[in-house]
Amino acid sequence: MSSLSVIDLYKNYSRKNRPVVEAVRGISFDIKPGECFGLLGPNGAGKSTTMKCVTGFYHPSKGSIKVLGLDIAANLRDARMKLGVCHQDDTLDTDFAMLDQLLQFASFFRIDKKEALLRSEKLLKRFDLLERKKDLVESLSGGLRRRLQVARSLINNPELLVLDEPTTGLDPESRRSLWEILCEERKKGMAILLSTHYMDEAQRLCDRVAIIYKGKIVACDNPQKLISDVTNDKMIKEEIRPGITIERPSNLEDVYLLLTGVSLAADLSEGA
Amino acid sequence: MGRLMISLGSIYLVWKRYAYVYRKNMAFAVITTFVEPFLYLASFGFGLGSVIGIIDVGGIQVSYRAFVLAGIVGQTILFQSFFEAAYGSFVRMYYQKIFQAIAVTPVTIEEVLWGEIIWDASRSSTSAVAVMLIGVAIGDFSILGVLCAIPICFLFGMIFASLGLLVSAKSQSIDSISYPQYLFIIPMFLFSGVFFPLTNLPNLIHKIIFILPLTSVLSVLRTLVLGFTFEWWAPIIISGWGILLIPLARKAMIKRLVA
Repeated sequence: MSSLSVIDLYKNYSRKNRPVVEAVRGISFDIKPGECFGLLGPNGAGKSTTMKCVTGFYHPSKGSIKVLGLDIAANLRDARMKLGVCHQDDTLDTDFAMLDQLLQFASFFRIDKKEALLRSEKLLKRFDLLERKKDLVESLSGGLRRRLQVARSLINNPELLVLDEPTTGLDPESRRSLWEILCEERKKGMAILLSTHYMDEAQRLCDRVAIIYKGKIVACDNPQKLISDVTNDKMIKEEIRPGITIERPSNLEDVYLLLTGVSLAADLSEGA
Repeated sequence: MGRLMISLGSIYLVWKRYAYVYRKNMAFAVITTFVEPFLYLASFGFGLGSVIGIIDVGGIQVSYRAFVLAGIVGQTILFQSFFEAAYGSFVRMYYQKIFQAIAVTPVTIEEVLWGEIIWDASRSSTSAVAVMLIGVAIGDFSILGVLCAIPICFLFGMIFASLGLLVSAKSQSIDSISYPQYLFIIPMFLFSGVFFPLTNLPNLIHKIIFILPLTSVLSVLRTLVLGFTFEWWAPIIISGWGILLIPLARKAMIKRLVA
């Protein structure tokens, strides 16, 4: 059974006196247990909208979403019990201290107090936040807040984790530490739906990536295969500073830029 | 998703979140909850009341202090429900994004909003009860009337909280909440009969004020705690506001949050 199955997802935004915006146009993909699936695309491509539909926060205009076999529209509460979500925005409750924040969210998953305390302290330790557990969220730096937000998304031991740009604002050390935690969780079978603007992160973490452009998946495969298929494993010459040119192997960023670049944009608009 | 049953347990969890924050900031909470009504009470009730003495309201002789004290109960419910829902929910929705964070857990956005409305009503009715207990202590209010008024204050609180939530949902920025505040809430507070009986007002103004929710709230409260003549139209008008505002506020906020 797939951890997540998205079939023919459409999402339109309609506002009064404004034209309808087709944010997502027929996206389909599935994620197996333990797999990390990346959504890449420029701002406004439809990544966050897709993720909000997956979490049941947005109602799809068309299509179906199943989380661990549960249709999210029909079994919202049960599906969300198995879902962890880390938003792109800072959604920490600033009225709480770190530990209380986790305990508070554990209560929404009906986790009993004793278990919640155990899990919260374990998570704070894993994210290297335990020493400051009584600090108010408001007093934390951007990086610490981000770590806490990811930690919070794991409080219910989710089987599917939705991470919308989780490492934005993290220093390299924290980023690597988060990657390690995610790797450990995947070994236990947790699937991840990841959106990121860091191509190195996607290349490192994701078993498969889908590149979204104007609400459609324009390519979806293993990162290495995408690089081979799209760039033919060419060596890329790049002027990195004035007068300094290097030659390097092509990477996921080259794929991303090729697929979401001007020429493809013209092709897509002709086909539409 | 729209057909999902609302869970009272989930609403309670959201309510508990507010209660926790309230308890944690107790000193601030007590000041913001109780000081304002007590200042009005001291100034208008004891101060102005000692000058005015007894007034005639539709043939009933009552001390101005008792009259204005009942008005302050209504004003407390209005201000505390409206401002907490309007400004507080705007902060929670727009800046803190707490609604969005909770509404991806097994607690749904509907339950988050019910929790918000019920919390705002709980807070405002707690303050209203404190004011009413002073009324009982100084012999102005009947105990039985106050006991009957408590659940009704809570319902009134839900209606004004819904009004605040609606304003929050429709406001583009926190500053724009000032428009309905100064153009509707403050005039309603000043002219709905908190400080003076409406009987002597010109007919047209009386008719306009008649349909404002605070007018009906004050009428019901004065009937209960001061034994004023029951005005049949008051529960009908305030129920109408409730039937209109509670679903409208939730719908508007959901529309804003969930595209």
